[in-house]
Amino acid sequence: MANSSRFRHAAVLGTIVCAVSSRRNPGSQSSLREANRARILDAIASYGALTQVELAGVTGLSPATVSNIVKEQAAAGVLQTTPTSRSGRRAVRVTLAREMGLVVGLHVSNRQLRLALADAGHQVLAERMLPLARDHRADSELDRVMLLIQDMAESVGASVSEVLAVGIGLAAPVDPRTGIIATPGLMRGWDGVPVADELEARLHRPVFVDNEANLGALAESRLGAARGIGQAAYLRVSHGVGAGLIVDGRVYRGGNGKAGEIGHLTLDEQGLVCRCGNRGCLETLVGASALAAKFPGSHGDVKLRDILLRADAGDALARRVIADAGRHLGIALAGLSNLVDPHRIVVGGELAEAGEMLLSPLRHALERSTLATPAGVPEVVKGELGERAEVLGAVLFAIDRAQIVARRTEEGILPARPAPAPDILPGIAGLRARTAAETPAENSPERGGLAS
Amino acid sequence: MAALSTPEVSTGELVLSLRGIDKNFGAVQALTGIDLDIYSGEVVALVGDNGAGKSTLVKILAGVHPQDGGTITSDDKRVSINNPADSNNLGIATVYQDLALCDNLDVVANLFLGHELGRGTINEVEMEKRSWSLLRQLSARIPSVRIPVASLSGGQRQTVAIARSLIGEPRIVILDEPTAALGVAQTAEVLNLIERLRERGLGVVLISHNMADVQAVADRIVVLRLGRNNGEFKVADVTYEDIIAAITGASDNAVTRRAQARVDAAGAPAATAGSRPDDTALPEEDRP
Repeated sequence: MANSSRFRHAAVLGTIVCAVSSRRNPGSQSSLREANRARILDAIASYGALTQVELAGVTGLSPATVSNIVKEQAAAGVLQTTPTSRSGRRAVRVTLAREMGLVVGLHVSNRQLRLALADAGHQVLAERMLPLARDHRADSELDRVMLLIQDMAESVGASVSEVLAVGIGLAAPVDPRTGIIATPGLMRGWDGVPVADELEARLHRPVFVDNEANLGALAESRLGAARGIGQAAYLRVSHGVGAGLIVDGRVYRGGNGKAGEIGHLTLDEQGLVCRCGNRGCLETLVGASALAAKFPGSHGDVKLRDILLRADAGDALARRVIADAGRHLGIALAGLSNLVDPHRIVVGGELAEAGEMLLSPLRHALERSTLATPAGVPEVVKGELGERAEVLGAVLFAIDRAQIVARRTEEGILPARPAPAPDILPGIAGLRARTAAETPAENSPERGGLAS
Repeated sequence: MAALSTPEVSTGELVLSLRGIDKNFGAVQALTGIDLDIYSGEVVALVGDNGAGKSTLVKILAGVHPQDGGTITSDDKRVSINNPADSNNLGIATVYQDLALCDNLDVVANLFLGHELGRGTINEVEMEKRSWSLLRQLSARIPSVRIPVASLSGGQRQTVAIARSLIGEPRIVILDEPTAALGVAQTAEVLNLIERLRERGLGVVLISHNMADVQAVADRIVVLRLGRNNGEFKVADVTYEDIIAAITGASDNAVTRRAQARVDAAGAPAATAGSRPDDTALPEEDRP
């Protein structure tokens, strides 16, 4: 074992020498060390926590090298080590050093759930993904979410009590005053459920809820393709279609949280009935089920991913279906662009993986239908964060909210009240009317202390 | 170098078709006239109560017991599965509920058990490379391939068992209760893995009692009840309640049978009558 790992070490060194950046003298001891350091950090970032022995296995480095680098990085405050045991032997568990507590981002879309555990410094420590049934229900999924959050926290050697806040993105407009889905019918199993209260009752940590496209917009405007752009729009094309609006650098939610619901813009008044109850919405033309219906002869369920795979393999029908979807989206975006006048439109969601196949017909339709200005039409680009945009947005949202709490309690704007006693009936807690801006008032003082 | 060749996206082809499968153990009639189709790139869930015959059907596919009656067709050719080797040659890989891994061996040894690489001496380096490449293609979260399987979590062991089934490049993977003994986090891993298998164009037969898992990843649901087919549903247009009704037989009683008979009797003439207006309507639409 030791021999084979040393052998691998030599082989790995050979490849690394070529790959190292030219900043330092290539092939020098220091450039090797830098590359090995990067390998170790990458491995820990992708697995959450590993023992030194496992690190040696994953990276192909010798145990001695791993031990040295871990010691050095722990001293520098990048890594954190805790004693543990593996198969009855003493071992050292290595995790990334965490800053100022943890936050959780959760993205619940129509067929999938994504969770990210990050520290307050925006560093994602663990991620989980779970396919969901059609018309999934809030109670059972929130139970699973609670278990997954506990598992993720354990995997990085933390506990749920270290979580400062949880941000949730739902695939339906959310009323910012109540945190309840504003339009029934879009996520049937979650209608009328006070999601934040329900998850708070399970985790005993503060929870904040918003629409998925708003969170995608937040993430792309802070970390992705709309960085530094004050007026932008984020279009999410996945199972359904939604948009998030960035106005003056902030997410614009509208009066009831419906702002940016571009998927339910009427394109064809005589069209098909949509799941929202209206007729001829954009979603009845470009939603996942509408696209799947264009493949009548095929066997089984045609998922978005199948269409993308087929288009990639050169299937003419799949390419045409995607191009048509781009055209419809472009017409709807022209309307949006006339109303809110963004400088840049970022296209995300699963269908955006099709890239130019979707975007060039989209741009064409947009140019044809939008008002011309001397500055030209809004620039349309693919999102940089891919399918993780919404979950990262949920993380940012949670950090923002947690920080507002900390600042307000510190400055004495909001009195720091103790957390509600655990013997309060959950039913009563669930009935509390919530205001997104006022929720922080219910926070306990120790949480403010953690984040400051 | 890859343990698996890159997937050819040839989905939706009928890979294996079972018709009228019968099986009895002495006086016990375990299966009666079972039909099952398996398509490439599709996840078909086989659900049913305890004793419905799911495991017996899997054992027929795996070559543990030959069937007593009925036909099996693969690529339009009639075949017989008399032993596990036949099943293997047809490209069927089975992952059993108990996984059948060797706890004392490491991940690499388990993956290649019985198919070790190298002549004379075992080529450990190549085996380890292939193991990593296979696990990476499945986006598996296994920290090391050189630790004994005993020290892995339930989900990781399931992943190893599924990865092992892919070593022989099968066309069909049968998973018997892959999430039964797992926690939520490990279940998530296995469900993601099933989606990977589907994307590779493999036909997946998933046996499970968990309807949430079934509805999350399956395309089609075949319900068995007391050794007979009791309904086949597309996941896209079926509710949880319909599936449960089919599993328990709640939808099968004298009243529903009479109602069905009435619909069948009324449906035949109605269908022919209904098609006529369509025929006349078509030219009208074409006119402008």
